Amino acid sequence: MSEQRKLAPSDRASVRPALRDRLLAAASRHNAPFLLVLVFCAVAVVGGFVIRDLQAANAEAETMYAGAVHGLKRIGELQYDAQETRRATLYALTTSDSNLQVEYADRSRNADQRVKDAILEYTRQAKRPAEIALATRLSQDWGNYLTVRDEVLASILEGSNKEAVSRDLSGGVPSFERVRKDLNDVKALYDEDASQRLANVVATSHRSALRLIGILGFTFLFSSAAVWAIQRSRMLNAIQLAKLQMEFVASVSHELRTPLAVMSSAADNIADGLVEGKAELRKYGGVLQNQSRRMSGLVDEILLFASTEDGKNRYVLQPLAVSRIIESVVASSEALTQGEGFVIVQHIDSALPPVMGDLSGISQCLQNLIGNAVKYSGDSRWIGIRASTGPAEHAPGQEVRISVADRGIGIDRSEIEQIFDPFYRSPRINAAQIHGTGLGLALAKRIAEAMGGRLSVVSELSEGSTFTLHLRIAKGEDLQTATGSRSASSSHS
Amino acid sequence: MPMRRLTAFAALLALAMGLRADVGAAPSASLEPPPEQAALLEPLAIVVNRSNPVNGLTSSDLHKIFLGARSHWTPDRRITLVMREPGEAERKTILRDVCGMTEGQFKTHLLHGLFTGEILVSPKILASPMGARKFIYNVPGAIGYLRVSDVDDTVKVLRIDELLPNDRGYKLRVDTRQAGK
Repeated sequence: MSEQRKLAPSDRASVRPALRDRLLAAASRHNAPFLLVLVFCAVAVVGGFVIRDLQAANAEAETMYAGAVHGLKRIGELQYDAQETRRATLYALTTSDSNLQVEYADRSRNADQRVKDAILEYTRQAKRPAEIALATRLSQDWGNYLTVRDEVLASILEGSNKEAVSRDLSGGVPSFERVRKDLNDVKALYDEDASQRLANVVATSHRSALRLIGILGFTFLFSSAAVWAIQRSRMLNAIQLAKLQMEFVASVSHELRTPLAVMSSAADNIADGLVEGKAELRKYGGVLQNQSRRMSGLVDEILLFASTEDGKNRYVLQPLAVSRIIESVVASSEALTQGEGFVIVQHIDSALPPVMGDLSGISQCLQNLIGNAVKYSGDSRWIGIRASTGPAEHAPGQEVRISVADRGIGIDRSEIEQIFDPFYRSPRINAAQIHGTGLGLALAKRIAEAMGGRLSVVSELSEGSTFTLHLRIAKGEDLQTATGSRSASSSHS
Repeated sequence: MPMRRLTAFAALLALAMGLRADVGAAPSASLEPPPEQAALLEPLAIVVNRSNPVNGLTSSDLHKIFLGARSHWTPDRRITLVMREPGEAERKTILRDVCGMTEGQFKTHLLHGLFTGEILVSPKILASPMGARKFIYNVPGAIGYLRVSDVDDTVKVLRIDELLPNDRGYKLRVDTRQAGK
């Protein structure tokens, strides 16, 4: 019930920074370059869209202007040719030379043919009902005018100028006036269309500009947010690292102080002559030996971790029998488990193939995992060790898996990804006063990866954890190389 | 009308000063040319506007039309005569074979007709066969003449005495040796 209750405002406030920190942590994990690449990709994609948009607007504008120029030219030519038809007809009136009159008639007919062609073209291209109706009307009116024009021309050529003028005034002028009006309507319709197109272009241009501004604003904000996140995550990382190092120093100091105190106390007792007899002395010697070994182990672990920090691979990989290594590691860990009531259950497949690895590396890795299980197994005091083969997850073929399981306190899901970070110590562990340096799992992971393997974990809170070391199986060429180098070294010796 | 008569008189005076009068000369006989001459003679087509419903004329009709005795195709469609300039071979052929006149006689006849009002409109003079063809194309009542090689589908060729220019026995032929095409 309490888990299902609604979040109080204070809870929400506490959740929000946690979410932010998680995002920042994610940013940190996925690294600044990745974020920058993400920003670049986003900007590139959006920029591509904007460029395409602008190009489309430009193309539309170009088409509109080209169309406008062409359209106006055609309308201008149409008007000119219509005028020329009439003009040439009337020029014929100005002369009595039949040759010249025929020439003018010819000019008039050529011009009227051009007008007919232009009207035909206009009719062909007419799409809107108004355009189609106008094209039909213009064609009819032009035909009517040409009928009168032919009569006028005939009268002029016959020498009946008076009759020609009379016919022109009675029929030619009104019919040409209708044509002129039609041509004006064509122009008006074209202007209307051009205005509409211009409005479209302006709207497209406006839209493009707004999009561009929006994109630039978005890019700026997104970039700023990314940079802020990167800087913030770096700062938090630095703080976290410093905090971890401080904790590490404190933890190491504490870990060193305990055996030192025991050793100092034992030494004081011996020096003060409080230890009497061989048996007492042996007991104190044993205490000094154990504590000095514990200190030595701790120092070795720190040095080993420091040596892996530079990322250099110091392991010599060779085919190894896993079962023997496990036996050896379990035997060497008896000091930890004996006397504490631990039960170690082993399931080692009998036909395990040899793996490619380094003896000391695998041993160290398993020791750390067993030590980890001892520390966090809680009251169950149960450790399970299993070695088997299974399909490799990140490569074709099979792999050998060595699992170390406990039935202890388990790991919170939110911490799963952090437990392999150096110096990381869970707040729950600190609260439970379980001592450690926070290096064991980090070291085990580095060793596993240095040997071409990996370390995985499955855990449920309060149910326990299972850490699995995945190792590559030695193949035929690995075995041949190993055999060859072994025989070479023996012959050399 | 007085102005028209004055113009006609001035033209008559000019002709009388520049040309030898040979009015009354008889029209030449229109006999079939011998074969060796036929190769040098090109038929001369009588052409009208394509809208003209007339398809053929007799020699007599043609004579009347070219001399201005007949001025209308129908009561509301007058005849406009199209001729080439003086000196052209086609004109000579028409004057000789249709009008039965020389150039001078024709001009005199024309001026006389215009002066007296018997001829309403003088023939239209075109400088080239193309001009003549275009004129006829533009004027519904026009009639003129063209060498067969100058004829196209913008004008209509008339039958003369039921004969087309390329028919055997067609009389109007122009001498291709003469200049003036």
